[in-house]
Amino acid sequence: MKLPMDKQIIVTRHNKVVYDCGDTVAKVFNGTKPASDILNEALNLARANEAGIDVPEFIEVGKDGMNWVILTRKVEGKTLRQLMTESPEMIDEYLAQLIDLELSVHAHKAPLMVRQKDKYARMIASARDILDEATRYDLLMRLDGMPNHTKVCHGDFVPSNIVVRDDGSMCICDWAHATQGNGGADCAITYLHLQLNGEQELAEKYLRLYCEKQGCSVAYVQGWMSIVAAAELARGRVTEHDYLLSMVQVVDYV
Amino acid sequence: MSEENKTLFDDGPAIVVRDLDELVPKLAQMREAQAIFATYSQEQVDRIFYAAALAASAARIPLAKMAVEETGMGCFEDKVTKNLYASEYIYNAYKDTKTCDVIERDEAAGMTKVAEPIGVVAAVIPTTNPTSTAIFKCLICLKTRNAIMISPHPRAKKCTCEAARIVLEAAVAAGAPEGIIGWVDAVSLESTNVLMSEADIILATGGPGMVKAAYSSGTPALGVGAGNTPVIIDESADVRMAVNSIIHSKTFDNGMICASEQSVTVVGDETYAQVRAEFENRGCYFLKGEELDKVRRTIIINGRLNARIVGQTAHTIAGLAGVEVPERTKILIGEVESVDISEPFAHEKLSPVLALYHADSFETALAMSERLVADGGYGHTSSLYIDTAQREKIAEHAKRMKTCRILINTPSSHGGIGDLYNFQLAPSLTLGCGSWGGNSVSENVGPKHLINIKSVAERRENMLWLRTPEKVFFKKGCMSLALRELGDEWGCKRAFIVTDSFLYKNGNTQAIERALDAQGIVHSSFWNVQPDPTIQSAREGVAQINAFEPDVIIAMGGGSAMDAAKIMWCMYEYPEERFDDMALDFMDIRKRIYRFKKMGSKCRFVAIPTSSGTGSECTPFAIITDAETGIKWPIADYELLPTMAIVDTDNMMTQPKGLTSASGIDVLTHAIEAYVSVMASDFTDPYALQAAKLVFDFLPRAYEKGAADLEARDRMANASALAGIAFANAFLGVNHSMAHKLGAYHHIPHGWANAIILTRVIRYNAAERPVKMGSFSQYQYPHAKARYCEMARYCGFTGANDDEVFENFIEGIEELKRTIGVKRTIADYGVDEAYFLETLDEMSLNAFNDQCTGANPRYPLVSEIRELYLDAYYDRPATSYED
Repeated sequence: MKLPMDKQIIVTRHNKVVYDCGDTVAKVFNGTKPASDILNEALNLARANEAGIDVPEFIEVGKDGMNWVILTRKVEGKTLRQLMTESPEMIDEYLAQLIDLELSVHAHKAPLMVRQKDKYARMIASARDILDEATRYDLLMRLDGMPNHTKVCHGDFVPSNIVVRDDGSMCICDWAHATQGNGGADCAITYLHLQLNGEQELAEKYLRLYCEKQGCSVAYVQGWMSIVAAAELARGRVTEHDYLLSMVQVVDYV
Repeated sequence: MSEENKTLFDDGPAIVVRDLDELVPKLAQMREAQAIFATYSQEQVDRIFYAAALAASAARIPLAKMAVEETGMGCFEDKVTKNLYASEYIYNAYKDTKTCDVIERDEAAGMTKVAEPIGVVAAVIPTTNPTSTAIFKCLICLKTRNAIMISPHPRAKKCTCEAARIVLEAAVAAGAPEGIIGWVDAVSLESTNVLMSEADIILATGGPGMVKAAYSSGTPALGVGAGNTPVIIDESADVRMAVNSIIHSKTFDNGMICASEQSVTVVGDETYAQVRAEFENRGCYFLKGEELDKVRRTIIINGRLNARIVGQTAHTIAGLAGVEVPERTKILIGEVESVDISEPFAHEKLSPVLALYHADSFETALAMSERLVADGGYGHTSSLYIDTAQREKIAEHAKRMKTCRILINTPSSHGGIGDLYNFQLAPSLTLGCGSWGGNSVSENVGPKHLINIKSVAERRENMLWLRTPEKVFFKKGCMSLALRELGDEWGCKRAFIVTDSFLYKNGNTQAIERALDAQGIVHSSFWNVQPDPTIQSAREGVAQINAFEPDVIIAMGGGSAMDAAKIMWCMYEYPEERFDDMALDFMDIRKRIYRFKKMGSKCRFVAIPTSSGTGSECTPFAIITDAETGIKWPIADYELLPTMAIVDTDNMMTQPKGLTSASGIDVLTHAIEAYVSVMASDFTDPYALQAAKLVFDFLPRAYEKGAADLEARDRMANASALAGIAFANAFLGVNHSMAHKLGAYHHIPHGWANAIILTRVIRYNAAERPVKMGSFSQYQYPHAKARYCEMARYCGFTGANDDEVFENFIEGIEELKRTIGVKRTIADYGVDEAYFLETLDEMSLNAFNDQCTGANPRYPLVSEIRELYLDAYYDRPATSYED
């Protein structure tokens, strides 16, 4: 795959760069990212699309030199994050739209997607250097006891992953972490990311409104907090390490 | 000792699983050990139990030290107490409990209870009480001859396994098989799940995830969960005792007992002030201003308990929160208002941190406690401090708390585990939380939950009785003498006579009236009883009875008058009772659901028959028809037995021929059915035999000569009453079931309806290979034929063998029927064929469902009843009644 010379950087992350290539968007991963991760993300994108969710059109997976690339059709519009920054007075409305969209994703099924519990169990078990044996045991036991659901969960449902078109319709990007499982876990992730982004007030507001719209208790979602925080640690997040660890070190019973 | 049997710490007899793959094969080894253990006697087991308890108790100090060091939680001195409790109290509570082989034997009832071990117990052990729980679970497994595989918590693995090792080594030294206790060293979620699914029963102590895993494993589980014990201190409570009990309990092992107090709700301003002052005086710290929020943020993180505060001292927790408190502070108290789960203080805190609430009334306090229980303590424990004279409040509290332990004036840590502050609550470190807590048990778990009990039930016969009227007068002319008892013996003042219009107008009641007048007993009469008496006419009679208020009812007549009078008696004594309840069918009159009330509180009952007959003077039965619906209600209960029966032939002299025939053959049917009934006994047989013999001997004469043959009338009167006593106690059979329906559907007089089918039913019952036999413990195998033959011989029929006697008996009955003018078939009684066939299925089903069917020696199929009806209609011989 040959990317155009005049491509513009949209965002740079520690393991990838996303380019605007005119009518397409190229997500270029650094060379250490395993092929299975790239293919999984592309597969998730395809499955979300087939499940009927509004996602960018998948074009191809290829290589640009040593680097894997996922190429999708560009979606014209601004991210919800941009809109929230530009019009802080509209924030409550945007928050409600975010939650409505999240719940609409949860209403879909994708029976072949990775199971959420399997994924978290794998991540927790792999975090040997970060979490001691007893903590991992407690986390896995807690995860095992969580209700089994089969909702499509985006896994990184944050305002910056949502593109709002001019007509107000919303397209959801970045399906790398998608699973099928419990919506409460997805909510806990969004909450955690808002917290880590320094938006405590917004995070609390989000949590309350999500639970109200979903019809569940805050405690229900909080049951997932230690698990998603552990997964975040397992992903190798180094900033906010202590904060995440304090979320993990909780007990239901000891 | 093989290589696998090496323990973590030393060579020893334990089975230790060091790798997930080893788990299943090692469980198989453990099963072999358990199979040997299962053969041990109670004496051997008790020796092992003793030695193991002693060893655990001796190791209480090193084990407590290990537990505190390894987990970094709790209080050493209190852990010593817990270890001692788990060994000494458990031993003491169960040392004499029978857990092996025969544990109960009731010779008279034929019941033996045999205890068997369950097999391999999977024990999940928490970090809060690791050594004491291990000791407890190992001991109760040893006491019940089970093997136990422990899944320790990784945070408390060493001390848990050491406790198990100490118990095991002592047990083995006392003779237990090696490998009866083991543990998983390579503990993981997978190993715990595999262990749970492979074991025979799970003793899971842990959080919601653990308990759910246990119940999802497919293995029977005794899982227990978290508590959130709310305390109420009522205005009437002894505040000093209450507060100090709470401090004692809440600080025990730094608050790690799951029954420990989490909140205190105080009723009333004055009590609140006293409680607050007492807490303060005893060294508890009330959090002020910002301190409260600092501690809130420290104890609960995102709605979950911060692991770092569990089992720490108040001072340490305050330090973590950045709050300065004196080092020896006992408890951190937050004075809070919300009982909602969003309030961190409303949670279970497993540490010396306590919520203090104020309630303006006891009712408010109850509502708050209900909510706190719902917040995370469903099924566990609640507590109330109160003056025990306040029984209503105590009862209301007990009613409202959805907790399986409700402790009154008791420190809940010590109280919940039992045997310390109440000696009926079983000592245990595994506290069942009932279905509310997702548990299969709601009590404190003990050895009884780890045995299978076999009930060896030997066949026993039902208790039977013989019920008759208090007095039965008989012999011609006995009535006037008998009636004297009403005044002389019973002191009656007001008599009410029930009879039918024929007898009344004929002057048959005059002799009664004279006898009453002679004693100065005032009397009144009701004479409007119709044949097939109705509820409506009984109500008419009861209205008169109610107005007259008699102390004795005298029923004179045939079955109709006596039945109607019995019902009136009942309605007079208990006007609020309902017929549809009284008339409900039953299998065993002693076990019926509806209980008749005691009769005789207002008046006694005298029955004087004028035909022979129904035997109603000696039976507890009455049949009454609802004229509005046409439903016949058969009412049966020993409360309906007449107090006195007067069988005086003088009252029977004018019976017409037809009545003599129909009621006479009814007597024979009563006698025969009572004799072959599944409930027939040595006490009813003589009555039945003699009644039958009297019918054969005297019915033809009574029929032919009527009033001219006094002896025949007299003996038939006796036969009727004797048969009544027999079937009042042994009941009847399918002959009567079928006859009742022939009467109901086709209006054939009852006695003749019996007679038409009598020999057919005898042949049917006599089958040696019936499709189904009647069920009653006494009735051991089909033997109706032999019984018919016994009766036949008693009545004078002979033959070379049973078959001949049986055939002669049948022929004798047929001859008797011919003699007294009974027609051969149902058709002969003018029953229209088309209508008969149209009603046949319904009639057969209803006959099957008749109350009399249950005592028949052969349990009939509806199709069989149908065939019997058809045979009797068309006079066709049955080919065979065998299956």
